[in-house]
Amino acid sequence: MTLNRRSFLRGGVTAGSLVALGAVPGFVQRTALAAPTSETAGAKDTILVVIELTGGNDGLNTVVPFKDANYAKLRPTLKLPADQLGKLNDDLGLHPQLRPLNDLLDKDQALCVVQGVGYPNPDQSHFRSMDIWQAGSLAQNLTEGWLGRTLKHLPGTPSFHLKTDNEGSPLAYEGAPVRVPSIKTLEEFQLQLAAASGADKAAQRDVIEGATRTAGGEPGLLDFVQRTAANTYASSRRLQEVARNYQPKATYPDGNPLASRLRLAAQLIDAGLGSRIFYVSIGNFDTHSAQAPAHANLLGQLGAAISAFYKDLAARGHKDRLLVMTFSEFGRRAKENGSRGTDHGSGAPVFLVGGRVKAGVVGAHPSLTRLEDGNLVHHTDFRQVYAAILDQWLGVSSKDVLGSEFKPVPVFTG
Amino acid sequence: MPLDPTPIDPRWAWEPYRPSDAAPWNLRRVGHLHRRAGFGATYAELQEGVRLGPTALVDRLLNGGPGQDEFDRDLAPLAASIAGANNAAQLRAWWLHRMLYTPHPLREKMTLFWHNHFATSNAKVQNAAFMLAQYELMRKYALGGFGAMLLEMSTRDRAMLVWLDGKGSAKGNPNENYARELMELFSLGIGHYTEKDVREAARAFTGHDLRGAELVFNENNHDAGTKTILGKSGTFRAGDVVGICLEQKACPRFLVTKLFKFLVSETIAPSEELLAPLCEQLRKSDYDFGALVATVLRSNLFFSERAYRTKIKSPVEFALGIVRGLEGRIGTTVLADALELLGQNVFNPPSVKGWDGGPTWLNGQTLLYRQNLALALTSTEDPRFGRRTDPAALAKKHGRPTQEQALALFADVFYQGDLPAASRERLAVYAQKEKADTLPVYWTAEDAANHRVRALCHLVLTQPEFQLN
Repeated sequence: MTLNRRSFLRGGVTAGSLVALGAVPGFVQRTALAAPTSETAGAKDTILVVIELTGGNDGLNTVVPFKDANYAKLRPTLKLPADQLGKLNDDLGLHPQLRPLNDLLDKDQALCVVQGVGYPNPDQSHFRSMDIWQAGSLAQNLTEGWLGRTLKHLPGTPSFHLKTDNEGSPLAYEGAPVRVPSIKTLEEFQLQLAAASGADKAAQRDVIEGATRTAGGEPGLLDFVQRTAANTYASSRRLQEVARNYQPKATYPDGNPLASRLRLAAQLIDAGLGSRIFYVSIGNFDTHSAQAPAHANLLGQLGAAISAFYKDLAARGHKDRLLVMTFSEFGRRAKENGSRGTDHGSGAPVFLVGGRVKAGVVGAHPSLTRLEDGNLVHHTDFRQVYAAILDQWLGVSSKDVLGSEFKPVPVFTG
Repeated sequence: MPLDPTPIDPRWAWEPYRPSDAAPWNLRRVGHLHRRAGFGATYAELQEGVRLGPTALVDRLLNGGPGQDEFDRDLAPLAASIAGANNAAQLRAWWLHRMLYTPHPLREKMTLFWHNHFATSNAKVQNAAFMLAQYELMRKYALGGFGAMLLEMSTRDRAMLVWLDGKGSAKGNPNENYARELMELFSLGIGHYTEKDVREAARAFTGHDLRGAELVFNENNHDAGTKTILGKSGTFRAGDVVGICLEQKACPRFLVTKLFKFLVSETIAPSEELLAPLCEQLRKSDYDFGALVATVLRSNLFFSERAYRTKIKSPVEFALGIVRGLEGRIGTTVLADALELLGQNVFNPPSVKGWDGGPTWLNGQTLLYRQNLALALTSTEDPRFGRRTDPAALAKKHGRPTQEQALALFADVFYQGDLPAASRERLAVYAQKEKADTLPVYWTAEDAANHRVRALCHLVLTQPEFQLN
């Protein structure tokens, strides 16, 4: 039995590397290597973390065309001063609060900004438009999500929705062959015991895990169950350790709920469960009035959270496995309203962060003069972004998931 | 999963099993039969099965127990309100309640088999009334004529008309979805028809439609021209296509293979010769599934080591087996939610192929959730189930006051005593151990003892053999 060198070098990915890290007791070493992991389920073990910006993020004040004179005209009070922007190139700059993302671009070449993403005949209802993005479809009746359908092609791949208190499971995961768990803490993904003391807990674990120690005998269903169980318990144990001892290799900002959930994702990734798809959301982007401070605060959280998450995983050797995608159900009206806010709009940028993204800006900024109903016009269908992620990142046929062919946007290197 | 290629003599396989010294009629065979033909047994049902003997027990399972009409009558008003309110969540709970408490478990089990066969999902149909009507259709024919069921499914089932897009399919531009799945998934299997057959059959299915919730046939939309399907030509309609499919030699073979995997084994690769007698019986009996299921359940092969524990329990089998074993009366809405996390959301199969089943039921996520569900069902501390499935109450009911006696009871109910010696030993050691527990000060000695019995039951349920059927 040889250790998978590739995954070992990337660190903490499979049962095999758990063994290498000395985190697994001896009996599992004999059995866990043969148990199902992401290595056997699919050829790749890339990770996708989707961040939903709920409420409609103002794309125009996120990626700012500061050279365009029309920008100041459309945004008399909300315009961001050019000298405070984090420059992406000669014409475009990120909101000042997104400076951590500029750093990811400049130092790590780990940021890709896809401009003008949307869909035909944009819907201005939060709910309908969010459904469309999550379903990856414009059909009238949307009951399945694009990630749920993706998971049909990645059988046995654990995935998670990292939720806030009252958040339900996203439509994006509907249709998955196994319901994707929505969890708030790592405890929810551990083997639970009705033990009254530490000693009792150990005794119970011994009874439960003892029965997996004979794994590796006669091939057959019992052996399969034992091996799966050994792997499951090792992961659960590792998760407990991770929950207790996880030392982030980057500083996650305090008082940033998105950062806390991404830290949870990092723990799950590092625990070596073979998890590949994560979904988190951050709300309150519906900035109809007094937008400037609220929007700055939200983008500040977003930038700091993504940056810490990327750096933590990069330091653990996962950067080339990682892809973070942000999206919002729509952008906002080009011209600000009378309340120093913005109303519902359309076409907006999507951020992709990871070690393998094509660094920089993809596509032109939507025109500020050629508007439709006052809204920026999209030039890239959101399903072209999904298609790139499916075909070139997750290794799942985008045609199978999206129902038809979409030309992938070039967002990955090599 | 490697399949076991050891040849099996077809004559021996399908002859009725007769108890012998080598293959005695015992608790294990009774438990095996109840797990396959139903959703597990209570202690009393196991004991009674031993007393009845194989012939009488199989008879009883085939016919069901007394009180079936009353059971159906009691649940009909609830079905009507679920249909009226289009309540998708209660729809699932309603069926799980039926599976748990019906006097005729085999009928529900076979209905579940047909649900996996026709694999219609309310995720697309979005209509509880249609789903219930399809359920009733499948239950009616669950142990009856497959031909009649397939005909009704193909021509008069509203859920299916929505699910596979037969609705509104019209002459000139027919929708091929139903015609394809009829051949590929419902009757023949891939390789036994051509693309031309699918296209021609789709023409025959034109004209069916829904007007609101009402089934209609629109003669103007029907393609009345001549079609050639699987070598036959005529001005075929939907029913004719169903008839042509049923005449194919591939049809009994396709269905028998599926039933074999469902009732007998997931680890045997059945040879042509082994299945031939069953195929012959099915063809000659005009697709009588009641008779076919009877042959299988009475057979030598079914009661042999080759079939014993050669399936992975589905989530429904896993969870309902615990509830039935504990003799619990539980609300099934929360159970439906739990089963969704284990990967089996009834009335919502993941695709037209249904659930893949077998080893795909288990992975690091679902196995963990199975074990944690077993804890929720045995601890009495989970608000979803409370004390409705209490192992301590079961032990008391059956007069097992000590830990060792409770262990023996649980081992009988859930494994019919068939646990590896080492596992049994570990459990016994745990049962005997002085607990250095820090229990709440207000607990009585009985509270503490009950707590230990519940923990013991949970440990019994976490043994790997419990995942097998």
